[in-house]
Amino acid sequence: MVRMFRSEWLKLRKSVIWLLAVVSPLLAALVGILSILDDAEIIGGSPWLYALSMMAALHAMLFLPLLTGVYAALVCRYEHAGGGWKQLLSLPVSRSQVYLVKFAFIMLLLAITQLLFLAALLGIGLSLGFPGPIPWKEIIVACLGGWIACLPLAALQLAVSTAWSSFAAPLAVNVIFTLPNMLVANSAEYAPYYPWVQPMLAMMPRDEMSFGAFNVSPVTLFAVIGGSFLLFLASGWTYFSKKAV
Amino acid sequence: MIMRVMAAELLKIRRKMIWFLVVLGPLGVVGLQAVNFGLRYDYLTKQYANDLWGGLINNVTMMMVPTLFMGLAILASMTAGIEHQTNAWKQTLALPITRTQVFTGKFLLSVLLLFCSSTLLIVGTVGLGAALGFDLGDVPYKHLLELIYYPYLAIMPFIALQVWLSVLMHNQAIPLTVGIVGTVFSMFSNRFDDWMPYKWPYLDNAADNPLFSVAAGVVTGIVVLAAGTLNFVRKDVK
Repeated sequence: MVRMFRSEWLKLRKSVIWLLAVVSPLLAALVGILSILDDAEIIGGSPWLYALSMMAALHAMLFLPLLTGVYAALVCRYEHAGGGWKQLLSLPVSRSQVYLVKFAFIMLLLAITQLLFLAALLGIGLSLGFPGPIPWKEIIVACLGGWIACLPLAALQLAVSTAWSSFAAPLAVNVIFTLPNMLVANSAEYAPYYPWVQPMLAMMPRDEMSFGAFNVSPVTLFAVIGGSFLLFLASGWTYFSKKAV
Repeated sequence: MIMRVMAAELLKIRRKMIWFLVVLGPLGVVGLQAVNFGLRYDYLTKQYANDLWGGLINNVTMMMVPTLFMGLAILASMTAGIEHQTNAWKQTLALPITRTQVFTGKFLLSVLLLFCSSTLLIVGTVGLGAALGFDLGDVPYKHLLELIYYPYLAIMPFIALQVWLSVLMHNQAIPLTVGIVGTVFSMFSNRFDDWMPYKWPYLDNAADNPLFSVAAGVVTGIVVLAAGTLNFVRKDVK
């Protein structure tokens, strides 16, 4: 397994992936700075949490779910492009291993993105000299929660990315489900049940409705995120183990 | 000649799910508004009581612009992807047509597909209004056509840009990410002044005249298309 990770790493090391990972945190940082400078006098609470929610709105409403799709398509690209599925599966590795390593790799890339987002937030806070102690708990919970909420999305995108050789087609599926976020996010009634909006809800700091340390309710965490994750992963995995390449 | 290039392009996109997406885009926007109005019918009809159609059209166009930004990136990538996936650029360019025609053909294909989507959106909006029981007699057709076709015209620079990037790059992750970043960025573009192209499709400008945004979009679109063509004519293909 570790060696398979290294082979995935080799395939992506020199690709555009590093460019993709920094774009969203940079853009979020830009918006974070602009909104802090604009609204400097009207912030009642902690500027840290205000910056976090402004940046999370931009980063997690559309960008993070869509980026999950790009990563999934990217980890399958080399196999689709050069007839690599045949070669990869003729090696002494099982299909399940291939599938799970690809999934883990998507989650690793998302973790890097979240860490860069964290770094961008800390960078803004420290350079603009936000007062008060850094609310570590809220910030880390937001980044980690957003990452966990991406699990079902990554599972579904990996399934469609292995199924279709076109790069844009899986992404179209992703966009179809992600664009409704613009409406769903405003609905307190339906938002907790829509998997694609969960990264945003999980990254928004708030007090009510939260379970333990997370920003989402237990029903959402276990039933919606967990349930759709298991469903998407199991169906994608089964499909891939039976697929003709 | 360009008609025959277009005929060939239309033939190439058959059975590629592209037409499906062209229909799905407007259908999705109308469907979401159907859910939105269906769930909050009393609240929204009270809020827009004196201009029911205006309220519906505003809600539709609010969803439409980001969908248009994302949709054009996907369509440009899928149409250029036909040649990338089969490594057929050499073959396409070996045909007795100029490179300018090939590139303009790809651009016009996206323009045509998005025109179909926009037109379907108009039909769908009127249909949704009728289904919600709004009076079909007072559909503000001029207002509706303006609010849907003006953003479509103002978004021309981005159609040209995405076609250019998708044709130029073998790895479609880059053009698609540019499209995603653009979509998200455009939603925050009202912080900028009128020079910002991402703001134009929202028809929001200091002079409060949507035609300025449209004119800026069309002119810049032609410039970007010309730049893309000049670049493609000199490009080495696989």
